[in-house]
Amino acid sequence: MNKSKFYIDAGTTWSKILEITPFGERKYSVYPTCEARKFNLEYEKITGHTTDKAAKNYENEVVSLAKGAKIHLENNFVALDLGSRDIKWVKYKNAKFCDMDWNSSCAAATGATIEMLLKFYDVEVESLKYTDEKYPVTCGIFGLEKIMDDVSKGLDPSVAISKFIHGIAYNAYNFTKNPDKICISGGFCENKCFIDSLKKYCEVLPLGRFVLVDGLALQA
Amino acid sequence: MTKDIIAFWGYPHPDLINKTKNLYPDAKWVDLDICFNYPPSKFTPDAYCGIIKNIFDNSFYLKERIIKILAGVGKDKCDSGFFAANLLKNEGFDVEMSYFEQTLPFDKLPDVPISKSNLPLKEKIELITANIVEKKDYSHLETSNAAFGFWGVPPNDLNILKLFPDNTHVFGWSRCVEAKNPANIELEMYVEPDVPTVFFAQTFCSKTLLAKYLADKYNGLYIDIDAIPSNSAYAKIEAFLRLR
Repeated sequence: MNKSKFYIDAGTTWSKILEITPFGERKYSVYPTCEARKFNLEYEKITGHTTDKAAKNYENEVVSLAKGAKIHLENNFVALDLGSRDIKWVKYKNAKFCDMDWNSSCAAATGATIEMLLKFYDVEVESLKYTDEKYPVTCGIFGLEKIMDDVSKGLDPSVAISKFIHGIAYNAYNFTKNPDKICISGGFCENKCFIDSLKKYCEVLPLGRFVLVDGLALQA
Repeated sequence: MTKDIIAFWGYPHPDLINKTKNLYPDAKWVDLDICFNYPPSKFTPDAYCGIIKNIFDNSFYLKERIIKILAGVGKDKCDSGFFAANLLKNEGFDVEMSYFEQTLPFDKLPDVPISKSNLPLKEKIELITANIVEKKDYSHLETSNAAFGFWGVPPNDLNILKLFPDNTHVFGWSRCVEAKNPANIELEMYVEPDVPTVFFAQTFCSKTLLAKYLADKYNGLYIDIDAIPSNSAYAKIEAFLRLR
């Protein structure tokens, strides 16, 4: 009997899973990585920061991103994946891969930091609104200091976090070498404050959280 | 401790190598550019070229055994090599400075069978550097069709070379060394425009300027790596090789 095929992008905080049933139906799901680890599933291919990079079915995250983003757009584009602890992008020119970068390990100004800030200040992500001001987050720790200083002076924490997110968006724009358009992959697609902040600098197209698993499911 | 080592860096002039071999026929030759994981000398600033750090680390660790250092200090090496040679001289080493700046016209250069062969890239680079002192004939090697290019100096950590397929051709300074023309800027800047090429330089090395320029010009991948490559560096090269 045919079985479903599973693909996983196991990030530091969240794991994104794609199931393709024997009938070709695609089912997407997201779980905390600590939970997803307990699943007894056999994956066709794996990617993500917490996977075994020496495994035979492992695929480089940038390769998964490039493949997954290419099915959305064939022409010139930059696809940016902003994760819990890293940021990576690829650029296609005339439908051919031409440039990329990956800051693989600094979590000071990425998704996990935002999640911690929201919990620490008890702020709902929906309450974050675009602010024209931004904190410099070239070093995320200095950015956090700005939040603490301003909140202690009476600034609403949701405004302070929004300024921090604007800083992350500006950083992402610079990291990708100031393109006209950025296609966003990852959890930040669901963060309206981030998307609105990035729109100040370029056209933005959110691709959702499952770009990497879509890339995994493509044949090489 | 017996002094039994002739140390060198870069590509000392062949006449100097031959003269030293005759003077010290039993000496062991050690390439100070290579990382042997000896303890850090703490002589260089933290932010400095990994290859020059190797030179200091290796020199001080092997100090009691080193008879003489043959130091490439001309356009065939770099300014840092010149500074390193003078500092080591100040620290009591017997340093003989070498300028190997003679170059041949491009159409008169010898063939580079190792660079164009189908040997694993790591082996190509190791043979090219070993051939500086122990000259062997590799003209029997067959030329492969280049699928990719690797441009640059031998990296501090040769393991990144294992990512490349065997039909990767060698360009840049490494190719210049095989052609016995380490100061030949025309050859150093030569690549095959249609071959996707990774342009590598050590972080903090002035050759990063050349690498970035050529990568932009030929739509290749520019990458600079400090002592040990990060996961990001491995991923960039892997992605480039997979996606181009």
